[in-house]
Amino acid sequence: MKNKIKNILRISVLALGVVSVGGCSSDFLDVNNTPNNPLTVPPSSLMTTLAYDASFASSNDLGRITSILMQYQAGINNQVLTYDTYNIRGASNDQWKFELYAGLLINAQKMIDNTQSTSPVYAGIAKIYKAYGFSILTDLWGDIPYSQALRGDNNVFQPRLDSQKDIYLGNTGSQIQSLFDLVKEGMADLDKTSVLKPGADDVVYAGDVKKWKRLGNTLLLKFAIQISRVQPDRAKDEITKVLASADGYVNDNALDFQVVYGSVAGAQNPLYAFNIVNRPDDQMLSQRFRDTLQLYKDPRISKFFTSPTGQFVSFNNGATGAAPASATRSRYGVYLTGVSGEAPIKLVTNFQRAFILAEASLSLGTAGDTQKLFEEGIRASMLKSGISATDVDAYFKANPDVVTLKGTNSQKINQILTQKWIANVGNGLEAFNDWRRWGFPRLDKALNANGGDDANIPVRLPYPSLEQQSNPNVPTPGPKTFERVWWDVD
Amino acid sequence: MSFVFVLALVFQVLAQDRAITGKVTSSEDGSPLPGVNIGVKGTSRGTTTDANGNYKINASGNAVLTFSFVGFNSYSVNAGSRTVIDVKLVNNNQELEEVVVTALGIEKSKRELNYATQNVKGSDLAQKSEPNVLNALQGRVAGVQITGASGEAGASTNINIRGITSFTGNNQPLFVVDGIPVSNDLDRTNGGPNGTLGGPQSSNRALDIAPENIESINILKGPAAAALYGSRASSGAVIITTKSGKGGSLNKKMEVTVSSSYTVQNMYGYPELQNDYGQGSAGIYLGTTTNSWGPKFGTTPTLANGLLKADGTTVPYKAYPNNNNDFYKQGSIASNSVNLAGGNATQSYSMTLGNTTQKGIIPGSEFNRTNVAFGGTTLLANKIKFGGSFNYTLTGQNNFLTGNGASAPGVLSSLPRSYDLQGLPYKDANGRSIYITSNDNPYWSVENNKTTSTVDRITGNINLGYDITPWMSVTYRLGLDNYTDRRKQVFAIGAARLPTGAILEDVFYRNEINSDLIFRFKKDKLFSDDINFTGLIGYNVNQRKFQNVSAYGGGLTLPNYYNINNATTYTSANGATGESNTLRRLIGYYAQASFDYKNYLFLELTGRADQSSTLPKDNNTFFYPSASLGFSLTDAFKMESDILSFAKLRVSYAKVGKDADPYKLASVYTVTSQGNNVSSISFPINGQAGFSIGTRIGSGNNLTPEFTTSYEAGGNFGFFRNRMNLDLAVYQTISTDQILDVAVAGSTGYSTRTTNIGKMTNKGLEVMLSYKVITGKNFDWTVTGNLTMNRNKVDEIGNGVTSFSVPGSAFTGSVPSIVEGRPYGVILGNKRVRNADGKFVINPVTGFWVAATPNQEISNPNPDAIIGISNSFKYKGVGFSFLIDSQQGGSIVSFTAATLKGVGALKETAVDRDKPRIIDGVILNSDGTYRPNNIQIDAQNYWSQQGTQTDLNVYGATTYRLREVVLSYQLPKSVLAKLPFGDVNISLTGRNLFFIAPDSPIDPELNTQGAGNIRGLELQSAPNTRNYGVNVRLTF
Repeated sequence: MKNKIKNILRISVLALGVVSVGGCSSDFLDVNNTPNNPLTVPPSSLMTTLAYDASFASSNDLGRITSILMQYQAGINNQVLTYDTYNIRGASNDQWKFELYAGLLINAQKMIDNTQSTSPVYAGIAKIYKAYGFSILTDLWGDIPYSQALRGDNNVFQPRLDSQKDIYLGNTGSQIQSLFDLVKEGMADLDKTSVLKPGADDVVYAGDVKKWKRLGNTLLLKFAIQISRVQPDRAKDEITKVLASADGYVNDNALDFQVVYGSVAGAQNPLYAFNIVNRPDDQMLSQRFRDTLQLYKDPRISKFFTSPTGQFVSFNNGATGAAPASATRSRYGVYLTGVSGEAPIKLVTNFQRAFILAEASLSLGTAGDTQKLFEEGIRASMLKSGISATDVDAYFKANPDVVTLKGTNSQKINQILTQKWIANVGNGLEAFNDWRRWGFPRLDKALNANGGDDANIPVRLPYPSLEQQSNPNVPTPGPKTFERVWWDVD
Repeated sequence: MSFVFVLALVFQVLAQDRAITGKVTSSEDGSPLPGVNIGVKGTSRGTTTDANGNYKINASGNAVLTFSFVGFNSYSVNAGSRTVIDVKLVNNNQELEEVVVTALGIEKSKRELNYATQNVKGSDLAQKSEPNVLNALQGRVAGVQITGASGEAGASTNINIRGITSFTGNNQPLFVVDGIPVSNDLDRTNGGPNGTLGGPQSSNRALDIAPENIESINILKGPAAAALYGSRASSGAVIITTKSGKGGSLNKKMEVTVSSSYTVQNMYGYPELQNDYGQGSAGIYLGTTTNSWGPKFGTTPTLANGLLKADGTTVPYKAYPNNNNDFYKQGSIASNSVNLAGGNATQSYSMTLGNTTQKGIIPGSEFNRTNVAFGGTTLLANKIKFGGSFNYTLTGQNNFLTGNGASAPGVLSSLPRSYDLQGLPYKDANGRSIYITSNDNPYWSVENNKTTSTVDRITGNINLGYDITPWMSVTYRLGLDNYTDRRKQVFAIGAARLPTGAILEDVFYRNEINSDLIFRFKKDKLFSDDINFTGLIGYNVNQRKFQNVSAYGGGLTLPNYYNINNATTYTSANGATGESNTLRRLIGYYAQASFDYKNYLFLELTGRADQSSTLPKDNNTFFYPSASLGFSLTDAFKMESDILSFAKLRVSYAKVGKDADPYKLASVYTVTSQGNNVSSISFPINGQAGFSIGTRIGSGNNLTPEFTTSYEAGGNFGFFRNRMNLDLAVYQTISTDQILDVAVAGSTGYSTRTTNIGKMTNKGLEVMLSYKVITGKNFDWTVTGNLTMNRNKVDEIGNGVTSFSVPGSAFTGSVPSIVEGRPYGVILGNKRVRNADGKFVINPVTGFWVAATPNQEISNPNPDAIIGISNSFKYKGVGFSFLIDSQQGGSIVSFTAATLKGVGALKETAVDRDKPRIIDGVILNSDGTYRPNNIQIDAQNYWSQQGTQTDLNVYGATTYRLREVVLSYQLPKSVLAKLPFGDVNISLTGRNLFFIAPDSPIDPELNTQGAGNIRGLELQSAPNTRNYGVNVRLTF
């Protein structure tokens, strides 16, 4: 018996001993706190994220789709080839989700939530980013989740759609804040006392609050011109207020809202990463863009696109024949890609502001000399693209027909928007917005277009399927690609 | 391991001992039977017969000796006053008394089992020219689906038992080796721009188990069988007993077994290619294209067809019929192992040393495994039984990129038929790739872009047992599974998708500790004379640690120098550089009670309560029970019939709870990264850090365990004096409250949230049949067959979500998905539009299909049925067997076939190439009616329109395969008597000899992403292999 007890003890002691080595105390099971990720982060690390989320969203696949539709580029292979025949249904899931809502926008929202009471300068900048992000969404898709969006952590899993009209103009009854008010609220936050202030983490303006206010006002101009066909009075009112604002607006290329990239893999801008590194054989210079620039004898072509053979070798949008040999193709050039991917992604620019004011002075009668603003836009773009001031002057002198507005208002707007289209190369989103607002520049549809819902150039993007699958408020199949968004009146 | 329990189940101490000796022989041919277990009933005493069938055991006067041996009916005899007892054991034709190892190492005879399990002997697995034990199981087990990734050396193999039960969790069964749960994880190395879609095919870690060291495998198919293992048993369990784990036999002289085999492998199953047309487009030669839409071979060279150059010379232009297939060379597998085993009255030991070296069919690919195992048991003077086993495995793999993109198999699928791949140089003076396009030349790719893996793995256990009283014993077992997998992935400078090169250092570490204290009870004649009882209660502590440390550097400075300090940039995108750790702990309490009424009614009850670290602290304990009942009709009603010799019916119910993965409760921030393989960013950028809120919403404290409930009914029937045995099982498993990172609408600001959601059912039928057609003195013919039918259905996801993608990487356009109302894993993609009559709707302008509808179900990878039929013949020492298996139904999406079609390389694209075609479809009239399509299109456009990801590249996966043929010869005893060997066995094996897949141009048994929940996607990986091997086994 004694032996038995000893043996039982021996085994039990070993068993329990091993368990206690593992630490079988009350906290033995208390090991579920992740060592892999932080639970909180300082606003500075979100700040940098916002700049890259915004610029990545603008220049990655949404930029590629719209740059194909706007015939800067022609597709040769893979996805962009299908975009060129307007087969865009089924695309854009990642853009909607990871780049915008669960990227730029939720991070802006988190920054607002984390800093509104203590460091409102951060919250203010986040609101400007947020307004910019939502404008991309509504301009592309029309009615979108907005006022109820970004609340997944508050158990709102199926946010309703707000109409584009309500998003731009606001709707107090439905508790929808207008994009204009969101920007203005953000600008107001910038004046408040803030414990933490951005510096190097703000890769756009290095924490300069005044510059952010200029950007805020310029965004208001962009929003105003976007709704100018459907709400001319509101648009005129907003623009007039900005022109009178003591805060100013982006009126110098040095004030451009743009994000500088790096020259190593993972830091290179998407235009470089896609067109030069990862998918060099997928797309190339569109014949229409080349023809336009060559017709205007525009020197920017050599900054916008490469010419490996000394010639600008382009391809017709939608053509089915063999593309020119890979080594000869013109691809995005140094203005867009930098030498090795470091070129800034331009989001809201001085030339864009000039063209907006030029258009508004004609279409809305806002203050400003249309011709001067038109020239200012071309000049700003040329200088930005790397053409020397001397060469710009020479170009203006040699090409008065190109740089002088003439004819009816409509013809003048065509001239303004065609030049804006040229200047906006690399930013298909803005070109797509302008083209839909006025139909300028006039674009023929791609050869062999068989996608879209009527085989014409789409005027909106179809809702991403993943959103349709998980949010019953988003209609399936949803609006056709030829159904216009609210501000697109004709 | 299991040996200890055999002893542990025998009780009582007796006095007045005397020695009894004897010889045990087979009743059939009188040959001596070595290794027969002999026990003294009611005591813990036991011994085994030696090589000549002789035994010696001490027993008292009234002792009852029991003789048991696998494949023979057990026999009991009252010793009376005899001191010499010779016994003839009778072959049991139906193997009902065969002992199988069930959960926690409990051994039961098949007669007692109330649920379906299936036992596979080591001899059916070893020396089958398959280094991966899972492949060797293919076609042998009902209820189990096994699919290899490809024929690449060391590629993983997927196994699902009774379908998929968890939406996003691990659906591989639990692997238990010698009583120790071990990892069968598949760690992926996803460096470079292609991620999992273009990565190497790494191994599942069951590959570390050498088939030569396996004594037997028992598959516990349902939760009822495996409930005692707790959380991880909802997908069933694979219980492996190794030779070393068994620890040799008592009272047996040292026996040495040497096994050697050599196997050659050749690629097979690749689609047939055309050899009539070469490189070009629209019938014109074009040297820069990967298309084979050029002029017909033999066409007179002209300027117009491009074969005549302006300078008057002609383009070399002819077919290279084997340029694709010759890339894959003959592979080989050399395998050698030595096993030593023996023992005396109180101690036994076994040692195994083995090595397998495989040279794969891709040039330079390699897999090798060296294992050393030692196991032993001893009965200490204080009556404590002490045992243990130790197993060290060193596994190495050298393999390559696969998948769509610049990988060798990817490039090969668009190789022009006139490209002299073998004759033309593949690299230039600077070591850079030379190829038609910017893609890597396949030879350059495999020479330069490599992934190596070195796994050091130790598994082991110690166990102690003690019989406290005749009716109670205690055992303690401590098990360890520990491995480190050091990987290095290299992209050389000049790689198409990474021109500046890159190095990924990727280290995986796993460690699992299990501690089990078990008290066992046995009481015959409980309450009444007719009821026997066995039971146990146990206590388990489980800890699992995981760590992955990786460093990814790009922009290499020097060529051919693959130290990470040669990199100029380091990126954290998608965890490429960083660290991931998990630690989880679980405490389990379990109990089992088994009642046996008159040996015809069997009741078994189990219960287990788990307390898990991964659930909310205040609500982390959960309980789940099982119950099973078996009833032997023939025994109960004393039916004696030559037709129905045995009949047992059984039903069971079981519920298994499962905890969450670690760290699911909180929402976290992550290092920011954006994008995919076409462009991406990752922080830090220009020295600035960036964090983002994670895309997953944590569950908070509302998370509860998920449960799988299973119902099973079945029967086991013996006919014609048990010459025919039929085992049937039907089951239904219902998985509810799954712990899931369920997709949420992107507009919420997140991608997923962790919650309890959803319901999924599996219903199935399993049939196992064995029939000894002829049993003669010299000739045997046995047919065994099995049938598996499983129907899976995602009943409900919930919260408005009707569909989301299976976690993992996929191409837009072929997304494995979880869709409400459909079987798990259907693939959503672009589906051609059809009218109400099922006719393709054709675009009236182009003559092609109108734009396909995205996000439709295009493929269902779940088979309707899996069938395996094996015939084995034995004439004296000569054995011959062949195994045919078949998958019925299911489908596969093949990127290889799609690409071959699109580029005009597939054989059928050459048929009538010069003739226009009209797609069989209809055109919509303005009044809403349809007219037949009458628009002609050319062959190139016809086929290249099918080269993209659509439902036109989905192929029926029905396959009939001659899986295995074995011819073996065992030296007759008369010859052996003159030799120093106890046994000499020589066999020739052929694996995967031949298949017919009527609906697929490519072998449908490919699954590029390997073991995991993504199935039915062939994304341009290596083809399968046909193996021929010669095997020798010597015992002395």
